[in-house]
Amino acid sequence: MAQSYSLFVARESFVHRLNPLTKLTLTGLLLVSGLFLPGIWTNYLLFVGIVLPLSAAAGVTKQLVRSAWKIVLPFAISLFLIQGFLWPGGTPILYVGPLSLKSEGLQFAVVSTGRILMIVSSFLWFSLTTRPDHLMNSLSRIGFPSNLAYVIVATIQIAPRFQSRAATILDAQRARGLETEGSLRTRARALVPLVIPLVLSSLIDVEERALAVEARAFNRQGPKTFLIELPEAAWEPAARWFMVVLMVSILGLRVYLAITRWRS
Amino acid sequence: MHVRVADLTYTYPFGVQALKGVTLHIASGESVAIVGQNGAGKTTLVKHFNALLRPGSGSVWVGDWDTRQHTTARLARRVGYVFQNPDDQLFQSKVLAEVTFGPRNLGFETERVEALADMALNMVGLDHAAGQHPYDLSPGERKRVALAAVLAMDTPVIVLDEPTTGQDFIGVQRVGEIVEHLKAEGRTVLTITHDIDFCAEHFQRVIVMADGAILLDGESRQVLAQEEILAKTYVEPPQLVRLAKQLGMAGVPLTVEEFTNAHQGWLEASK
Amino acid sequence: MIQLMQVTYSYPVTSRPALREITLEIPTGQFCALVGANGAGKSTLAYTIAGFIPHFYHGNLAGSVLIDGKETSQVPLSQLVQQVGLIFQNPFNQISGTKFTVREEIAFGLENLGLPRDEMEARIQATLSLVGIEDLAERYPLALSGGQMQRVAIASVLAMRPQVLVLDEPTSQLDPVGSREVFAAVRALIVEGGITVVMIEHKLEWVAVFADRVIALVDGALAADGDPQEVLTDETLVGKTIGQTRYTRAARQAQRSGYWPQDRQLPVTLEQAVDGFRESRGTPAG
Repeated sequence: MAQSYSLFVARESFVHRLNPLTKLTLTGLLLVSGLFLPGIWTNYLLFVGIVLPLSAAAGVTKQLVRSAWKIVLPFAISLFLIQGFLWPGGTPILYVGPLSLKSEGLQFAVVSTGRILMIVSSFLWFSLTTRPDHLMNSLSRIGFPSNLAYVIVATIQIAPRFQSRAATILDAQRARGLETEGSLRTRARALVPLVIPLVLSSLIDVEERALAVEARAFNRQGPKTFLIELPEAAWEPAARWFMVVLMVSILGLRVYLAITRWRS
Repeated sequence: MHVRVADLTYTYPFGVQALKGVTLHIASGESVAIVGQNGAGKTTLVKHFNALLRPGSGSVWVGDWDTRQHTTARLARRVGYVFQNPDDQLFQSKVLAEVTFGPRNLGFETERVEALADMALNMVGLDHAAGQHPYDLSPGERKRVALAAVLAMDTPVIVLDEPTTGQDFIGVQRVGEIVEHLKAEGRTVLTITHDIDFCAEHFQRVIVMADGAILLDGESRQVLAQEEILAKTYVEPPQLVRLAKQLGMAGVPLTVEEFTNAHQGWLEASK
Repeated sequence: MIQLMQVTYSYPVTSRPALREITLEIPTGQFCALVGANGAGKSTLAYTIAGFIPHFYHGNLAGSVLIDGKETSQVPLSQLVQQVGLIFQNPFNQISGTKFTVREEIAFGLENLGLPRDEMEARIQATLSLVGIEDLAERYPLALSGGQMQRVAIASVLAMRPQVLVLDEPTSQLDPVGSREVFAAVRALIVEGGITVVMIEHKLEWVAVFADRVIALVDGALAADGDPQEVLTDETLVGKTIGQTRYTRAARQAQRSGYWPQDRQLPVTLEQAVDGFRESRGTPAG
């Protein structure tokens, strides 16, 4: 069973020592850049020029590239095939039997894959270098509701348990003669005996956990303190503001370009 | 129905080798308890009997069926497996529906299904609750519903995974009575248990496991007297066995009656 | 100290009371075991002492429940949990699920209380050593064994410095190793002194060894209250609603045949049984 759904990899690095809010803002900047900066090859340049060095600085390049590849490749393949061959009209550049590969379609596929690459790799970089509870810690300090923070981190930690319980239920029902493989009808009939025990026993667990955290004063009115101190370097707050300004500028640039294009 | 295990090994996908070459033969109608510390491989072994797990190497036979050739649903005809947590099974809105689920999956005719359900509910003492929603019952009662649901499948082999955990005194007694009933019917009854006194009172044979292998396998009387070997897998002998040993009594009493008889003999000997 | 006077309680939407006119007093520092059949009201009584009844479960509570002289219904639950700690059966469901080390897990309750950092660190260190889990401090809580998790839960609750610790069948889901670890941890708390323990348990052999006092409930009412050896050999209860150790059963058989020393109480532990049977060797039959 996985330890938790957190992708976090512990390392001693400059990146790991950055405050979670700084990393969150940087991830936001990367996302905005990936989605709104013009240019066909921009995202690939960003990936190679910014994301990969950031991963290297954190010592997580191997994990990032491996996971990104697994996620992005299926999208890339289907985009290239579908958009490439099925682009309406357009300029054919290659013939494959009765079908033709269109250059506009390919261009679209390249741009879209680039966007997906930036989105996925930014999130991966963030998840690999930030502990979820530290993130919630720093968000709570700036006013994020603590109940919501609790639910988010607890889900990440407890989800594997949910998964292994689902496997146990599957075993238990199969042991009562339930067929789970074969026709669609067989599988559909197997759903109710699998889903209901999962839901019911999870509800019981939720109630027990609610009692347990109540017994640890979770619902006490009043400010909470933090055992872990998350230090930040003096330049970090300023850097965050600067990144926010950049994000706004990129959005502004995009709006400007859209207006001028519409005008012409 | 007998169960045969030949040189069984099994390694979990995440790398742990849970069984390191287990060989054993359980004859038809035997009552066997499997004991040992958590992680010894007890559940891993027993999950091979209905093909929930497939051998890494070696083979497991239930009667004349090689478990590698059958699905779990098929083997459910021969091996009834009662899981430890009833909440991993219960999904119907009525107890009766829960108990008839198994036999219906096995394709029995309606009269047989009804008869088996009645018999099973009777055996666990829940006839009165047939029309109730399982979740309106207490956790102990739900455990009995899950047991009835498997008993109703009328299998020649029954596996009980920690049947007394969380039960009160009356519940444990009832489980003991059910085990005796199943034995009287000639079924092969296997259990994994931490309750060594329960084990001594109802099971004729004990298999002690540690680290994926069998440390001891034999008649309860012989196995439960070997304190040093049991201690290796954090198993303590039953209360009466410990008492007899401390008093210097000969023999290994498994029940209060046996102790009483041995005690009288011990008193005579001291005169 | 805990005082209950004529406490009667029914859960919401039920007519049959789960507790019936319970009156008892538990002095500070006592280890009190609570026994009885499933459904007898043990957990209900535990939740009532901890204040979850009536605050969490509502329902109909009559009578008086006093912790340190104050009515629990008048004190907010977030304050009550600092006076009475509650440990449940399932070790896994007591791990908060938001912390990545045991040390931080123990801090969870203290953070909720808004304690300053150095106070938290001092309490965490003290509790780790009191419960004997210093070696687990940096471990991931959800990767521990049942017995280890249960001890972490105990430490997490203890760090809040309650005067009373209520444990609802803390070993029922644990193997013998885990059970022993939990009993040893609770015993260490008694030895340190000061804390009152109320433990619901079915493992009578352990109760007999550790408890100062045994309270038996039958159908929501007090059926017996006293010395472990007295209550756990009481013929009106034992074998009918609560179990008995094999030692008691064997000795009772011997007693019926006249083979048990006349003035000797029936045993509930191995030691008591050995002593009694040895003495009987010198006693002629009938």
